[in-house]
Amino acid sequence: MLKVLIIDDDDIVALVQGKLLQNCGITKDPLKFKYANDALNYLNSASVEHLYLLLLDINMPIMNGWQFLEEIEKMKVKDNIYVFMVTSSIDYNDKEKARKYSKIINFIEKPITSKNCEQLKELPLLKPFFPQPN
Amino acid sequence: MNYSSGELNILVVEDHIGDYILIEDYLTDEHLYVKLNRAVTFKEAASKLNSETHFDLILLDLSLPDVDNNEDLVRNMVTLSRNVPIIVLTGFANKTFGVKTLSLGISDYLLKDELNGPQLAKSIFYSLERKKIDIKLSESERKYKQLFDASPLPMWVLDRHSLMFLNVNTAAIELYGYSEEEFLKMSIKELWTEDMKEHIEATWLQNYNDSFGITVKHYKKNGDIINLEIKSNPIEFDGKEARVTQAKNITAQLAVEKALVASEKRFKALVQDASDIIMILDFDGNLSYVSPSSSQMVGILDSEMLQNNFFYYIHEQDVASVKAHLLMLHDEKRIQIPSYRIKTTSGKWRYIETILTNLTEDDTVNGIVANSRDITEFIKQEKKLIASLQRYDIVAKATSDTITDYDFLNDKMYYNEGIESVFGYKKDEIINTGAWWNDKLHPEDSERVRRYSKEVRKSRTSNIHIEYRFKCADGSYKYVLDKSYLITDKEGNTTRIIGAMQDISEIQNYIQTIEDHNSRLKDIAWTQSHVVRAPLARIMGLIDLLQNYPEIEEQSQLLEHIIHSAKEMDEIIRSITNKTENVTISPQ
Repeated sequence: MLKVLIIDDDDIVALVQGKLLQNCGITKDPLKFKYANDALNYLNSASVEHLYLLLLDINMPIMNGWQFLEEIEKMKVKDNIYVFMVTSSIDYNDKEKARKYSKIINFIEKPITSKNCEQLKELPLLKPFFPQPN
Repeated sequence: MNYSSGELNILVVEDHIGDYILIEDYLTDEHLYVKLNRAVTFKEAASKLNSETHFDLILLDLSLPDVDNNEDLVRNMVTLSRNVPIIVLTGFANKTFGVKTLSLGISDYLLKDELNGPQLAKSIFYSLERKKIDIKLSESERKYKQLFDASPLPMWVLDRHSLMFLNVNTAAIELYGYSEEEFLKMSIKELWTEDMKEHIEATWLQNYNDSFGITVKHYKKNGDIINLEIKSNPIEFDGKEARVTQAKNITAQLAVEKALVASEKRFKALVQDASDIIMILDFDGNLSYVSPSSSQMVGILDSEMLQNNFFYYIHEQDVASVKAHLLMLHDEKRIQIPSYRIKTTSGKWRYIETILTNLTEDDTVNGIVANSRDITEFIKQEKKLIASLQRYDIVAKATSDTITDYDFLNDKMYYNEGIESVFGYKKDEIINTGAWWNDKLHPEDSERVRRYSKEVRKSRTSNIHIEYRFKCADGSYKYVLDKSYLITDKEGNTTRIIGAMQDISEIQNYIQTIEDHNSRLKDIAWTQSHVVRAPLARIMGLIDLLQNYPEIEEQSQLLEHIIHSAKEMDEIIRSITNKTENVTISPQ
């Protein structure tokens, strides 16, 4: 089963992203985390039977997106995790940095739109979770 | 008959008493002052001759008991007699032997049988006189030989016909370097130099049997040529017709004379052909000598110039100064008169400069020597230069730049007033060396400036254009734009660097301030764009949601979020505007 985690300190962003994911049929129940730590705790006790898609913000207080990625590497479910970096930054350096992480399958500048969601569903890796109506 | 010198001491060597008495009788008859001394044997005679006693004459009988060989006896007696004349008396009429004894050094030979008083006396008298003359002759010969050998002048004797050397003295051997043996195998013709050969030979043949004197050139053994003054006289030498020659080496003397002539010529050329005028005058300006160069310099012949007083030619405004300088010679040996004007034929004036030397005490000069140089061209150039310098000075004063003038060869640096007005250095604080200037460079710039100026000199370009910081008297630094120009000699080596140091501190500070502000603004823009973009991204996300899913729940809540985010963005933008306004541009 595909579980989607929204990790963003901005409540409105999390709300908008959650509604979008629900409305475009990616997940009925997106998991929202205001602090990166809470998301880590969740993933530490997560089952390896599932696949986890993370919408990860870069600029967060306490632990930012990059630090979060380092932590994931220590987990037993690390191979089940795929990350969408989501940022309001238009910094070229961040984009370059993202290339170095194999976990990051996409880098999206805020806001995430319905169009992004449709593209997400077409990714080969995620396609099996979204059966096409014949 | 008396012998003039008084008593004669005679040794009579005679074993036969009868013969002895006979001799005594003869001699007593003939000579009043005779002292006889008898020796009976050769042995006794020898011992008497070796004693202190001086004998004037020896009478020798050849038949002695202790002698067998008469010839040996004669030889021994001649040796023992030491130049005392010996007269041999004998019984045999052996003429051959008699002649032989004469050649052995015997004075006379008498036969006893024919002996009588007068004959004996005559023989004794002749023997004594001849001995005396012999001694005198050999003495004079010895003296003559000594004169020849020891003469400090080279001398030689030549065969009058072949001109082969027959004898040479020590001085000749020393002069020519040939040994005596070598000389005696040579003819003097071998010494003659080619250019003189004909002349010498002609003189010799003309005076074949006469005295002559001649100046010649000879080769020495080492090939050197020497000049000689020669006197040659005909003589008889060892029975040959010869000539004796005395020579005087005049080589050194000729060289000195030659040098003297050359020096005189040189001096004359210096005085007469030089462009300087040389005059000899007295304290009243009366001229006693003017060099011919006067016609070149002022167009007046030296002979004409002598007709007037020195002061006659001098510009009336300069006469007083020249006279004053002339009088200074009473106290000083040498005086230089600074430039003054002198009249020329064309009516124009020329500037000259004169050095006066007081040689009134010198008998050969007897006056003041005035050595004058035409400096008209120099004065003209100098006037131009002064005008140009004045212009330069005005320009230098008018500019706000600091003008530098570096004498590269002598390491001397000169500045205009800018060094004080711009950098604050007082005149007495400045050391006029390149090192002082270098020391004032900012430590971070000095290496770069040094490298740059080295490169410029090497590349032989003539312009320097560089910025650096230069220390002021108060310790602060000013930004300087240095534009310098390199002056080079013919070989392209730098001799002088003229430059202008422009104070660009204000511009530099302004640029620095702008750059600072720029970076601050960039900073602000960067950080703020993030902050701005956050609510904007939210609004865009919300709108996208509402647009794509019109049926979405809680639409009013979403709209509320849009308004909230818009307000947030508005506040952020206001805050940015405020921050940017605080960044005002003003020099630091």
